[in-house]
Formats: sequence, structure tokens, C-alpha cells
Amino acid sequence: MTTRARPRRGDPALGLIAVVALGLYVLFIIVPVGMSAWKSLTDENPLMAQSHFIGLANYRELLHDSTLASSLSFTLVMAAVVTIVANAAGIGFAILLNKTSLSFRMMRAVAFLPQVLSGVIVGFVWRYIFAEDGILNHLLTALGIISQPVSWLGSPDLAMFSVGLVAAWVLTGFTTVVHLAALQSIPVELYQAATVDGAGRWQQFRWITFRMLAPGTTISVTISLITMLKLYDIIAALTGGGPAFATQSTALYIINLAFTDDRFGYASAVAMLLLAVSAAIALSVTGLLRRREVDL
Amino acid sequence: MRQRRLLAACLTTALALTAGCSAASPGATNGNVSLTYLTFETPDLTASFWQSSIAQAEKQVPGLTIKDIVSPNTDRDSYAKQLQASGQFPDLLESITPSTFAPAGLLMPYPQSWVNANFLDPMGNAYKGKVYIPPTNSQIIPMVFYNKKLFAQAGISSTPTTWAQFMADCAKLKAAGITPMELGGSDSFAAAMPLTAVLSTDVLGKDPSWLQQRYAGKVHFTDPNVEAAVAKYRTMVTDGYFEPGALGVSYADSITNFTSGKTAMYMMGSWFLGSIPAAIAANFGSFLTPTDDGSVVVPYAVGGSMAISASTPSPAKATAFAEAWSLNPANLKTLLQGDGAFPLIKGKTIADYGVDPSQVYQDSYNYVLQNNNKVSAIGWVTNDDALPSGLNDDFYAAAQALFNSNDVAGQMAKLDSDWSTATQ
Repeated sequence: MTTRARPRRGDPALGLIAVVALGLYVLFIIVPVGMSAWKSLTDENPLMAQSHFIGLANYRELLHDSTLASSLSFTLVMAAVVTIVANAAGIGFAILLNKTSLSFRMMRAVAFLPQVLSGVIVGFVWRYIFAEDGILNHLLTALGIISQPVSWLGSPDLAMFSVGLVAAWVLTGFTTVVHLAALQSIPVELYQAATVDGAGRWQQFRWITFRMLAPGTTISVTISLITMLKLYDIIAALTGGGPAFATQSTALYIINLAFTDDRFGYASAVAMLLLAVSAAIALSVTGLLRRREVDL
Repeated sequence: MRQRRLLAACLTTALALTAGCSAASPGATNGNVSLTYLTFETPDLTASFWQSSIAQAEKQVPGLTIKDIVSPNTDRDSYAKQLQASGQFPDLLESITPSTFAPAGLLMPYPQSWVNANFLDPMGNAYKGKVYIPPTNSQIIPMVFYNKKLFAQAGISSTPTTWAQFMADCAKLKAAGITPMELGGSDSFAAAMPLTAVLSTDVLGKDPSWLQQRYAGKVHFTDPNVEAAVAKYRTMVTDGYFEPGALGVSYADSITNFTSGKTAMYMMGSWFLGSIPAAIAANFGSFLTPTDDGSVVVPYAVGGSMAISASTPSPAKATAFAEAWSLNPANLKTLLQGDGAFPLIKGKTIADYGVDPSQVYQDSYNYVLQNNNKVSAIGWVTNDDALPSGLNDDFYAAAQALFNSNDVAGQMAKLDSDWSTATQ
């Protein structure tokens, strides 16, 4: 029988691995963020050879940018609503699928499928579903729920709802899997003891399941929020940010600023703002949810 | 020892990569030149079209090899900007907007003598007095296409020439249970067609220099004559001449809806001519957006083929290729058939291109050939009247917003504000 040699403290191989990992992190995360921070202080235009240092002018412009305000408020509202919906749905699906038979294992795979699909494909598929003569309108008409086709992507309010629905559908695949893993780590003895004490299903869910899911919920909620705050691909394919910019997320706005309006410098300033907002929200929510875990 | 070997291997690899990078030379080797060409694909401009057209032009320039770079979508300008930002600006760029790239010194103008010798409207898409794209063809943007059977069904015997007649015809169609106007509003450029029509016709029709004056800050979108023109579009919406859910209809679906007879009229660029199936083309006609006084105004845009990068390693061969490609009638034939383009090459008639145009195409082309009031199609021209970079999206968004909102003054004020930002 052979045993794998356990790495020793001070082993140069470990150091090399750490240096490579750190190097990659610096190269692909720290350097681009640093470059973006620097560009945000310039008037860089992708078509011009030279850019100039303009101090905090881009940041001052952020304060008066009504398009940024509307895209940021759309992004924040969408992030909050979709995170809540996707996680609530994820917990529900996880409980329903928490069985070990083959059919349930297959259904878990199906539930995770939207998460595997490219956001662009998801956007295009749902664009057809939401079309005037698409599947959704046909279905609702057949069921007698509507008499005229609904313009799901045509009015600002419905377009926002449609984007939220699709994003929640995609994220639910992820939240289901995370919560399913958390569910399976709950000791069965807790439920047995609760049954002996006369606890019903609702009480078992409220006092055992929901509380014991806390670590999984922390991960799921945080990642859902971050995903939504940088949402781009689904919106680009589904609505293109329309109608009339009603569904333009901040990430989409950054791309448009950089590659349509040729304002790399200002786009970088908006990107830095989005980074700060995302970091603040992620840290606050993680702190809040971790406190809940401590209470267990 | 093993670590030293690993380190040595890493260094060797790094050195090899460095050497490889420095050895790679863009452009010429042994007198042969390789150039990049940004193209884009549509249902008509297919990959095989580009391959064969490139191959034919290559034959006329010995020692030249063209590498085709296909834009991921039809927005060539945005992709060209991404390529420029990453240091990969192509040597040749098909149908881009010169006014976006020329001010940065990224494009090389064509020899004016060659342009003058070969094209009917040599300065049609010139920017600051120089031609960056050979003016091979033109479009009217938009025209009003109509379904003859549906017009007859509503008791309309002739096409309208005044705005009042146009509105009366819309009312007749609506009364007959026919949706007067098709709109593919979920694609923003298509949503903006009626707005393009009324502004080009009413504002530029009366003052063809309006866009230059807007650049000079002498006129604004909030001026009463502009708001009055925009109000016409709002009237069409509020009077129910579009489907209520038109902003949910894609451009592709709008074509199908109109050609299948679901709606009576369609405001669209003349490229729509290429989408009318030949078998039913006789049922369709076209007219220009009517004016208040019945005068003819043609919202016009001269297009063309490729621009040449100012930093191409071989300007002579790039120019020779571009000239050969641009004057090949076979290339324009595809544009005529699939894109409804109106040719502008000197000394050639439609017959020279080997196409059999429909009557609606001929009638539409006549507006180009006639001596009439041609004005810049706002948002579409690539000459000095091109909108500031980035403003097209704001213009399209205004059109979508005005479909649901009565706030004409607010939207026009926003356009003025966006204009100021874009021209800072």
C-alpha cells in the first residue's frame, strides 16, 4: 500500500502553487480593476490615440446622469426581487426534489438546466416565447386567461416583468441545487425528534429546515445578488435594454457607453461605481446572513 | 532538481513564446500581402457571397490575400471599435460609418479622381469633403409601402400626396377593420422609422441644412417645427393606426405581417424591396411620406462598400482591392436583389446587373433618378449629416418612448441633452 506524501510546511512546491495562483489573480482581477480605476480618471476614447487625465470629472458627471440613475435603479430593484423569488422558489424545489430515486435525480438535472444554458441562448429562446404570436400568448389564450395577445416585451412595465421572470427562471436552477445540498446535510434525527415532540410539517420546516438551510442560503443569496447586479447577456438578447431603455441594466449601459458612445473613461467610472455598489451590497448581505448562521 | 527542471521548462516556454511573438509580422512577406477585411453576414449577404466576391477582387490584385473577419452582428461600427480598442483594427471595413472613425484619423480617403470617374453621386456620402466609402448605391429611408388589395378593400383608389390625405386613408383602413400601419417596434431602429419619416420630411424637407445647424447649436429638437413634426407620429399612435402591441413585434415579424396582408402600410427603408417575394410583388406599391403641402421630399442616404484603414501596411493594394470589389456589378447585384439597393455606378443601367426588378422596385428607383428634393435621412446618412456617435440609440429610444408617452417636449429636450453629451 502506498500513501501520498503529505505536503510539509515550507515545501517549495506549495510556494510555487501559491505564487502561480496569486499571479493569476493579480493578472486577471487586480490589474484589470486597477486599469479600469485609472481609465475612470481619463477621457479615454477607443478611437483616439491619446487620452488625458481629467481627475474626478467623470465621477462628478455620475451625479447628474439620469440614464445611469434609471439603469441603476432598474438593476437594484431587479436584483432584490429576482434574488428573493429565485431563492424562495429554489427552497421549494429543493424540498420537492429531496428524494433519492432515479426519477427525482433526473428532475434535479432538469431543474439545473437553465443555469447551464448560455444567457444569450436563454434570451433568444424567451424572446420567441414572449412574441406576439409566441407560445405564452397562445397558451394563455387557449386557457381563456387573455383574449388579445399581450405585448410582453413591448411596454416598459411588462418588459421589466419579463426580464425578471427569465432571470428568476435561470437563477432558480442554481438556488435549487445549493439548497438541495444544504437540505441533505440536515441530520434526520432532528426531524425524528420533532415528530416525537408532535411538530407538524409547517413547524418542522419553520424551526428545522429553514434554519438549517442558513449556510446554503447565505451562499445562494449572495451569488444570486452578484449575478443580478452584473446581468448583461440575457437582457442584451431578450430586449436589448428596450423599450426606450426601460430594461437597460447598468452592465448593459457600461457596454453601450464604451462601444457605442466611445466613452471608455466614463464607462470605467460607471464600472467602478457598480463594483463599489456590488461590493457594499454583497458584504452587507453576507454579514447579515452570517449573523443568522451564528444564531443557529 | 525536479524544481530546477520545471523552472527551466517554464523559462524555455516563455522564451519560445516571446520569440514567436516578435517573429510574427503583420502584412508583407516576399512581396505578398495579407490584409484583414471586416464583413458582416445577413440572409442575403451570406458567407459564400463574401468568399466569392473577395476571391474575384483578389484576382485583380496579385500578391494580395484577404482574411475575412465577420462581425458577430450587423452592427459593424461597434465591432470595429472593439477591434480598434484591442489593437486589431482591420485594413478594410465594409459599410461602416466614416464620420465615426475618420475624425480619429483611422481611415484613408479614396482618390477623388477615381470616385468622380465612376459614380453618379460622387460626394453623396463624403465626410468633410473626402470620400471614405465608394458611393456605389443608395437607399430611401423610409418609404411607405402599401398593400394594393387592402387599399382597394378600404375604398382607397390612389396613394396620398398630402399628410391630410394620408391620415384620411389611415382612418378609412381602420374603419374597414384593417390595421393601417405595421411597426416592428421591438427592434429599435424599426421603431424609429415613422419618426425618421416625419423629421426628414417636415424638418429637413424645409431646411436641408438643419442637421448642420443643429451641430452649430442654431436649432434644437425642442424647436416648435420639430415638435410639430414629432406630434404627427404621436397622432398616428393615439389614433390607433399601429397595433397597440407594436413595440413587441420584431423587425422580422413585421416583414412577415406586412407581406402576408395583416397590415396595409409599412414605413421602412427601401431595402424592404428585397424582402417582397417575387410572386406577390405586384400587390405592393410604394410612395413617399406625404407632406402638408403635397411637395415631394426624398429622405435619402448614399451607402457604399468598404472603408480603408489609414494604418494598413499596404495602402496601394488595399485601395486596388477595394476599387475592384466596389466596381464589380456581380457584388452590387446581390445588394440590388436582397437589399433593394439603388445602384449609383456611372454608365450602368439596372439591366447591366442581370436582375429582373419588380414594378415596385422600378417605381421606387425612379425617385432616385428624378431631380427632386433629396434630403438626408436622419440617423441613416454617413456623410456630414450623420448623427453624433452614440446618438442613434437615443433617437431610437425616443421613438419607442413616444409610442407610450405623450411627452413630446420631454423627449425632444432629452435628445438635445444627449446631443450635447455626444458632441462634448
